[in-house]
Amino acid sequence: MKSVWKQPLFLLGFGVIVFFLLGSFVFEWIFGNEPRQTFFITENGRAVEGPPISPSWLHPLGTDQFGYDMLSKIMLGAKYTILAAMAVAALRMFIAVPLGFALGTYLQRHRSWINGLIDPIHYVPMTIFAVILLKPVLWMPPEGFSTGLIERVIIQVVIMALITVPIVAALIGNEANLLYHQEYILAARTLGASRRRIIVRHLFPQMREKMFVLYGQQIVETLIVFAHLGLLELFLGGTEVDYDPMFADPPKSIAYEWAGLFGNSFRYLQGAPWLPLGPAISFALIILAIAAMIEGYTRASNGQVELPKRKKLAFVSDETIEWNHQQLKEKMTLLQLKEEQKVKS
Amino acid sequence: MKGFAKWLIQLGVALVSIWLISGVPLLISGFQEGEFLWKEYIDKLKQLVESLFPIQDFAVEHYVGGWTIKQIPLFPNLAEYIEYSLQLLFLALAAAVFFALLGTFFTMLLKERARQRVKMMFYFLESIPDILIILLAQLIVVIIYKQTGVLISSIAVIGDERIYWLPVLCLMILPMIQLYRLSMLTFEAEERQLYVELAKALGFAKVFILFAHIFRNAIISVFFQSKKTMWFMLSNLFILELMFNIPGIMYFMSQNMSGALFLITVLSFFLPVFLLYSLGEWAFMRRLKRGGAAL
Repeated sequence: MKSVWKQPLFLLGFGVIVFFLLGSFVFEWIFGNEPRQTFFITENGRAVEGPPISPSWLHPLGTDQFGYDMLSKIMLGAKYTILAAMAVAALRMFIAVPLGFALGTYLQRHRSWINGLIDPIHYVPMTIFAVILLKPVLWMPPEGFSTGLIERVIIQVVIMALITVPIVAALIGNEANLLYHQEYILAARTLGASRRRIIVRHLFPQMREKMFVLYGQQIVETLIVFAHLGLLELFLGGTEVDYDPMFADPPKSIAYEWAGLFGNSFRYLQGAPWLPLGPAISFALIILAIAAMIEGYTRASNGQVELPKRKKLAFVSDETIEWNHQQLKEKMTLLQLKEEQKVKS
Repeated sequence: MKGFAKWLIQLGVALVSIWLISGVPLLISGFQEGEFLWKEYIDKLKQLVESLFPIQDFAVEHYVGGWTIKQIPLFPNLAEYIEYSLQLLFLALAAAVFFALLGTFFTMLLKERARQRVKMMFYFLESIPDILIILLAQLIVVIIYKQTGVLISSIAVIGDERIYWLPVLCLMILPMIQLYRLSMLTFEAEERQLYVELAKALGFAKVFILFAHIFRNAIISVFFQSKKTMWFMLSNLFILELMFNIPGIMYFMSQNMSGALFLITVLSFFLPVFLLYSLGEWAFMRRLKRGGAAL
């Protein structure tokens, strides 16, 4: 395996994420946790523009309807969103990996019907599940929250992690089972290695790279669910709702995390497009950065696809097929049937 | 027959799990107060089943203006919402499949180096979040309207009108890219098979081999792997309905969250899609067993 630190794609993605994360902490350290507020812009002593102020040098991403600077808000919120997504993905992997290995080794006889039961999850919209389960946690009831902010964040992370555990576990289980029938594992078993030893010594190291890739994909999925929840005004760490019947403020996010920034502002698309676009592009940047890291990482672990200079060969070269195969594996939605046939033959 | 029994069990377990989950919010609220509301949970589940039968009289509560509650019956009101949502979903699915296969077909005719570049580009395009695509689409419509005065499609639904092509376009882009990448991968794997070389040696044209042989075999693989795309599309539909104000069942649910409505919403997507995939799997499996194609 070549060093991932020599892969430009990996470095690029890593740089973007470090920029947002470190930048977020540094920004708060320098400017405090209150974004800059401008009430109006004056030119020659006359007010020419009131909030929401459009993007300019003073406010690169404009300001919101109360005059708060969007760039400061995005920088302040970055750490919450990114760290929460990482936490959800980590917890999900932490639960799903042991389950998956158990499914692929100890429970392999039952794998077929367990997979059969997990399969219908693919026909249920996941965001709806997240919404119905998180609404009682995140939406402030009229009498105020009964839980603290930290508690709510923890409950949200746990619920979001648990929702797709079955699917991730099934993926890992199928992959582990595939490896379990390789010759070298058979040799180890013949020599008397226990299943536990095979998992720890053979399966886990073999699958470490795939699990990194899977972890990256889980972060991406979590970020997207955060954005979706934001649209429904279910923000990270809870939504403060003003129940005043006459002059109710819009629902508020507790910190400046991105789901809240996006969810609160997407109705302003026509009048002030910079409001929803800022957070949406930030989401996209982080997701693209992770995709670049995954691609760089796979290239480092498999060797890069170098196309041969000769053109007249078969339709495609072996290296391309190798790369394709890796991409399919990455998706890990392996055709069960195909693999089972392979195992049998 | 055994396969059918297995299918029934699968369906049954899925339905029961959805039913059990529809009551869980109650448990979670209880948990936050530090108590376990098992009894209330079971009561709620019972009540849900009772309200479902007879299905003609089933109705859900709709909060008008925040305070007054109106009963909305399943037939004909909710059924209309469901119909609109499903129309959008399947139109987008059909469009995504069509364009993905068309794209694959044309890329396969390209030289390999060019193909590699196209694939890499689509890898990154795939990771653009759905919200950004919808935002940009709406923004473009607004800009065109401001510049030329031509409204090519309304970006939000008012009242009971139905808009189709812009939502379908937004909904199909990401699944199309995913399916395209998937089918490129399987087509290229299939291209390495011996029968393709034989056909080439016999002097058939590339287009003919691609269409008559590779396509028929690769499409099975693509179908089996497209499940995740479907899953992803369902979540996308939800966001789409919210952002376009589309009077579909998902939008309605987000306005009036309740256990019964959750059940209806999830089922209205689960049943058709599950049926579609089961039928497809059954048909392809039968063809495989007859020795039609190698998977």
